[in-house]
Amino acid sequence: MILQIASTLAYILLSAALIFAFIRLVEGPSLPDRVVALELLASLTVGFIGVYVLVSGATPFLDVAMVLALTAFLAAIAFARYLEKGGHREDDD
Amino acid sequence: MIALTWNLLLALIWVALWGEFTAANLVVGLIVGYLVLAFALRDMPAFASYVAKVPRAIRFFFWFNRELIRSNLTVAYDVLTKTHYMRPGVIAVPLEASRDGEITIVANLISLTPGTLSLDVSSDRKVLYIHVMYLTDEAEVVRSIKDLERRVLELMR
Amino acid sequence: MMIDLLVGVLLITGAGFMLVAALGVWRMPDLLTRMHATTKAGVLGAGLILLGVAIHFFDTTVTVRVVAIVGFVMLTAPIAAHAIGRAGYFIGVPLWEGTIKDELKGRYDEAQHTLSSGPADQDKDAS
Repeated sequence: MILQIASTLAYILLSAALIFAFIRLVEGPSLPDRVVALELLASLTVGFIGVYVLVSGATPFLDVAMVLALTAFLAAIAFARYLEKGGHREDDD
Repeated sequence: MIALTWNLLLALIWVALWGEFTAANLVVGLIVGYLVLAFALRDMPAFASYVAKVPRAIRFFFWFNRELIRSNLTVAYDVLTKTHYMRPGVIAVPLEASRDGEITIVANLISLTPGTLSLDVSSDRKVLYIHVMYLTDEAEVVRSIKDLERRVLELMR
Repeated sequence: MMIDLLVGVLLITGAGFMLVAALGVWRMPDLLTRMHATTKAGVLGAGLILLGVAIHFFDTTVTVRVVAIVGFVMLTAPIAAHAIGRAGYFIGVPLWEGTIKDELKGRYDEAQHTLSSGPADQDKDAS
């Protein structure tokens, strides 16, 4: 019962967080800002997976969270490389 | 390093003797192994330094977690109040850590402690550039970073 | 019962810190201050939620995975922040107008991608 309420509340908080991160992702204003927002979206998804695993008992999803954290990190590094060593300097919009 | 291997080995023997691999057994085995090493091999320098390091590492762990929570509370405070109180700035802090691993750990921990975010290390590895949220008292900020670096180096060397 | 309560508190505070991180990303004035919010609050938020998972199941395989994920996030989040911050600084993302000091200014070598440790006029003899 307690867990039911707590997980629902956690879902609500995480969803609100997703909305704010998404606003930053759309607004920019520069590409690094968007990359930061994307990284936050990835860690929010890790949080979502954690809550879901707790509610459903499907522990294999923890592996998904691990891989997601890994790929998000690699994506951030790749974006940083791309920004530093070439590519367009200003955002095109 | 050899002492840590021995400690793990003793813990595994303990687990094998109990015949059941559980987290509780492993933790108890580690503690018992540590006590055995601390008592039986206290004359050998490699083991003596290990015995001294473990309590320091545990204290460091708790200290770090406290700092992490404190930093989150300050971030939460910043986010939820008006941003005008911030005095952000980028400062250069001289580094004592020289090896790559040490610099990595120091820089990571700086990022996770309150109000500071490590940006870059100079190419000659002498200076760490740090973004600080409240740069009202620069000497105080540098002092706390030096304190953190000292704690890390104490543990690593 | 007590454990359920503890897990529930961990879940809600973790999700709350993640919301703080998202609010920070939304409200903070420039790239570097935004990264302050995501690295710290993101790590602690995910860590608290996963700690709740570990306590709830109290099982070796779950605990090992949780420790791996949290350790990995703690290790990578600051490194990602460093890489993005450096890239952002390099391509000239403007700092907030309230920034009172910038010792990094002019110390990057645009062509060599190196960073000097002293004032800009000193690094010529070092290279």
